[in-house]
Amino acid sequence: MEAFNVIIFHNRFKETCSHLKLNFSSLHFIFFRRRDPMALFAVLQTTFLLALLPLRTYQSEVLSEPLPLTPESLNVSINSTKQCLHLQWTVHNPDYHQEFKMVFQIQISRFKASNVIWLENYSTTVKRNQVLHWSWESELPLECAIHFVRMRTMVDDARIPAPRLWSNWSSWEKADAQNSLGDHPLYVFPKDKLVEEGSNVTVCYISRNHQDNISCYLEDVLIYGRQLDQNVWAFEFKNVSFIRKTGTNFYCKGQGDPEGVVLLVSKVLEEPRDFSCETQDLKTLTCTWDPGNDTGLIQLPSYTLFESFSGKKTLCKHRNRCDWQVTQDSQEMYNFTLVAENYFRKRSVSILFNLIHGVHPMAPYSLFPKSVSATNATVTWKVYSIGSSSALLCQLQLLGEGKVIQQHNISVRVNGEYLLSELKPDTEYMARVRCAYADHFWKWSELISQNFTTAEAAPSEAPDVWRDVTFVSGHPTVTLFWKPLSKVHANGKILFYNVVVENLDEPSSLKVLSVPAPANSTKVTLNQSSYQIYVTAHNSVGPSPASAVAISGHPGNENVEEGRMNGTEDGFPMSWKPQSRNATGYVVEWCDSPQHLPCVLRWKNLGPTNTDTVISSEPSRCAFRPGVRYNFRIYEISTKRMAHLLEKKAGYLKELAPSYNPKVNMSNLTSHSFTLSWKDYPTESQTGFIQGYYVYLKSKTGEKCHRGFEKTFLTDNSVCCKYTIDNPDQKTFVVKDLQPESAYEFLVTPYTSAGEGPLDDFRKVTTPDEYSHILIHIILPMVFFVFVIMIICYLKSQWLKDKCYPDIPDPYKSSVLSLIKFKENPHITIMNVNDCVPDAIEVVNKPEGSKMQFVGTRKSPTETKGTKPAYLDLLPTEKNYSGPGPCICFENFTYNQAASDLGYCGHFPVTPQAPHCQLGPLTSPENLLKTLEQNYMNSLGEIPAGEANLNYVSQLASPMSGDRESPPTNPPEPALCSEYKMQMAIPLGLASPARSENSSLSSTALLDPREHCH
Amino acid sequence: MRAQRMQRTLLSLVLRLLLLCTVATGKCSGKYHELLLQLQRQADLMQDPSTLLDPYIRLQGLHSPVLQEHCRERPGDFPSEDALWRLSRQDFLQTLNTTLGLILRMLSALQQDLPEPTNAEMNVRGFGNNIHCMAQLLSGSSDPKAAEPTQPGPGPTPLPPTPPSSTFQRKLRNCGFLRGYHRFMRTAGQVLRGWGERQGRSRRHSPCRALKRGARRTRPFPEVRRLAPRGQPPR
Repeated sequence: MEAFNVIIFHNRFKETCSHLKLNFSSLHFIFFRRRDPMALFAVLQTTFLLALLPLRTYQSEVLSEPLPLTPESLNVSINSTKQCLHLQWTVHNPDYHQEFKMVFQIQISRFKASNVIWLENYSTTVKRNQVLHWSWESELPLECAIHFVRMRTMVDDARIPAPRLWSNWSSWEKADAQNSLGDHPLYVFPKDKLVEEGSNVTVCYISRNHQDNISCYLEDVLIYGRQLDQNVWAFEFKNVSFIRKTGTNFYCKGQGDPEGVVLLVSKVLEEPRDFSCETQDLKTLTCTWDPGNDTGLIQLPSYTLFESFSGKKTLCKHRNRCDWQVTQDSQEMYNFTLVAENYFRKRSVSILFNLIHGVHPMAPYSLFPKSVSATNATVTWKVYSIGSSSALLCQLQLLGEGKVIQQHNISVRVNGEYLLSELKPDTEYMARVRCAYADHFWKWSELISQNFTTAEAAPSEAPDVWRDVTFVSGHPTVTLFWKPLSKVHANGKILFYNVVVENLDEPSSLKVLSVPAPANSTKVTLNQSSYQIYVTAHNSVGPSPASAVAISGHPGNENVEEGRMNGTEDGFPMSWKPQSRNATGYVVEWCDSPQHLPCVLRWKNLGPTNTDTVISSEPSRCAFRPGVRYNFRIYEISTKRMAHLLEKKAGYLKELAPSYNPKVNMSNLTSHSFTLSWKDYPTESQTGFIQGYYVYLKSKTGEKCHRGFEKTFLTDNSVCCKYTIDNPDQKTFVVKDLQPESAYEFLVTPYTSAGEGPLDDFRKVTTPDEYSHILIHIILPMVFFVFVIMIICYLKSQWLKDKCYPDIPDPYKSSVLSLIKFKENPHITIMNVNDCVPDAIEVVNKPEGSKMQFVGTRKSPTETKGTKPAYLDLLPTEKNYSGPGPCICFENFTYNQAASDLGYCGHFPVTPQAPHCQLGPLTSPENLLKTLEQNYMNSLGEIPAGEANLNYVSQLASPMSGDRESPPTNPPEPALCSEYKMQMAIPLGLASPARSENSSLSSTALLDPREHCH
Repeated sequence: MRAQRMQRTLLSLVLRLLLLCTVATGKCSGKYHELLLQLQRQADLMQDPSTLLDPYIRLQGLHSPVLQEHCRERPGDFPSEDALWRLSRQDFLQTLNTTLGLILRMLSALQQDLPEPTNAEMNVRGFGNNIHCMAQLLSGSSDPKAAEPTQPGPGPTPLPPTPPSSTFQRKLRNCGFLRGYHRFMRTAGQVLRGWGERQGRSRRHSPCRALKRGARRTRPFPEVRRLAPRGQPPR
């Protein structure tokens, strides 16, 4: 046994030289453990020594000779695409036949051999005459620099005893990519570099023209690099980011065209997520995953699906899905590994998949409802079979209004069918089906759905009917209202409503009205009998149960006191006291929007046991609004369906402060008080129950508040006096104790429980003087009295004139004349006007431009100009009148109409001794009066009583001014002329048209002193 | 900007429908002016840089002024404006047809570098069909210019430019090619408009028999031949 051990040991020694020393020691160890008899020992020792002899020879050979392991045939090549230096060499060792480990130390220099930039030890197991390879990737593009490579070796095998020495360096091998470049003046490297986002990239350019000024840009940004050599510049970009799929442009420009490179930056490839597989038919597996973000390159990563049990793999055609054909060898378990790979990375994810557990059936098809009635429907569908014996579990769901209302599970092999019951008439439903693998449920299939609508049925409930009864001329007019039936009760589309009016006093008379839907009211005029009215709703199937309303022919008791109530968030809570024990129910009615007419009647039916309720807004109706007064009427329904008014209630959901103030009338203003009234203010249409009014009074003088007022501050911090009227029905107020001749401001505003009205419309009032009313009491009657006197005077002006200031006495009416006629000379007569030859008539143009009227003129009126008086020489003028005497001018201002009617006029020769016109002294009023008096007297004096047949009143007029009242400002020289204004006849009553026209003018004839005064 | 793009898209759609209708029915419009107007409008549409060049520049990141300066048409890519004006109608249509074949190849090569919804290829095909129809029409027309002897053309159209080895140079090269394409279509449109004017001025002349020969030769996109060197294209 021990000998066998030695032999084995020896064999081992021969095979592995590296274990020689260790095994030799072991040999000694084994040797010294021997304790057998001496004979056997001698034999063994001899054998051992014989065996050891060749071993010793072998050992002396290994250690004594140096290993000739210098690398040979070192070749350096450049891979521009990968920017790699590729080294290839051999180690020639004819003495060794086995593999053993070696270390190769490689040095790389750049630009010159002494500039070592890389030193690496490469360890590998070397066979005899093996060609070795090693690559080195340069961060600097290899085209931009010359590289030098050399190496040396060392055996690093345990079988080789120490010392281990490096071999000599090989000679430098040069790698110069610039040799292959052309003669272009500018080169940029690396070409089309593919980098991963976040990595660092070095770009360089080589300029052959040293004089050229090169500018380099990354995208549009000018950048500056680092000079590596005389004509080489490098640009290092750290943490590069993805800009666009077509790459990031880097370019340099010298004298010629730009040269550049495109850095194709790839986003980091993500690991596939949610990797899972399933089958729809147990024939094909479909594996899906989420590939994550796109790497952003045109070159997409590849996805490979590998199954370890079968050792098969497939290259996926999609980046998120892969199909796998299930083999026929009943393989159930699959161990899939999905490998995503791009230039930079390889990502993988694995799952263990049981085929039976991953069955996701295809969606069923041909889902149809059949035999659909009002309450039942049968639905059928089909499924894709899985295998020959497998069944599917299908789930049938019935949805109404979007909610699942029924759900049934049915086992199906090929065709599915199910009867759905308890359906509602005229209702749209949705049936949908999905299926799962029955043997092992994993996932439902996609749903398929189908809508259907059940058939109609007759309405199941009587319409809710209410009435509004008004009496016109003692005859009740009934307006019937009904609520549309809910969908649940209508069971179809309501087509019309039948209204049957039965006269209870005449049972044989029935009146039937058909009201087409969707009307919800109708009006019926009845007589004073009692009626029962039935309302039914009809759809295409039939009528609903009837709803009955009884109408009495006489108005009921409407004199019910109105109560008040307050609304809450829930609505209007109210209660009532039943009047009879036989009430069949109660009805509360109100108007939806009471502020708008006509009233939209609402009502609520309540059972006979209800004595309270809360009226809340119906969702489909107008909601109760704050600040609106709602009036409720509670009716009790008798056994004969007759309604009796129980109570009236008014309330606000929430009271608000009044939105506006009453329009206040102010009256009875005195120096100490005034009265305010606002009787037109409607309290019932306000935004709350009016509890009273506040009367605000502000005085400019800031006096104290009067009795009953209290001081208060307004929002503008002004002080004000406030009086509170507690009675909402009091709509007048007398403000007393005011100061005379003082300014006040007042405001009347109502208030509710929510507050008072707006305080922004104060009106101003100023109290009058204390005695002003007394003066008014005196002055007004006086003014009235004077006015009456004036009217009387006007009406009796003629009478007054005759009495107070009579005209020139009428010679015919003169008593003297009658006396003379009667006593002395009955032949004496009054000179006729025809006997008078006027010498001149002066026509004066009034400034108003009045039309002149001429009598016996020699010039046409159109020849008159301006306001100058026109003179008509009736007597010889200066040229044809030789007489020396001055002329006499007459002007008729006024005289007795009777006289004028007779056409009296006269001419009196004037002697030369007659006094001249005394213009100068006439400038003063006194002189004027004197002169007038004197002329008048002279005229009277010059006319003998017996001869005078015409009395003239001569009045001196100012020759310079048309305005007789204004004093002359520039009195002319006195002339030997007496001016008279000739009296013209102005008829008071009827006159000829010409005269009438003259009468509207100041028809005066005035002799022009310049022409006629001599 | 968006409205203009929409208008262009609509116009392009309308034109393509017209052209597809023509191609589908296999019949050419017999109305010279209608066809000429259609050609002019197509040329106007295709000369618009916003249809191809601008999207390409945006997509490739060539919008910097330095690169824009070097995104220029290379001599020999397209017939020069002078050369086109000198051509007879027959030769003009022939040259146009040949150049469109080149353009189609380039567009096909550029497909992945262009925005996805580009209608350029369809437009070029439609334009080629209409050129074919015009050549057919002129062969039987009374156009006086058609009677003129065929002048020497600008030479055969070149092969598509060899793609440079560097992606960057290829970008610039394609950019210059697209610029030349738009310039060429603009010139073609001007020449076609010149036809309309001359047609209006000299309707009394007889048709050109020589055109018949040319029209028979003019089929959409024949084999591309090599172009002789020509003068500098206008910048």
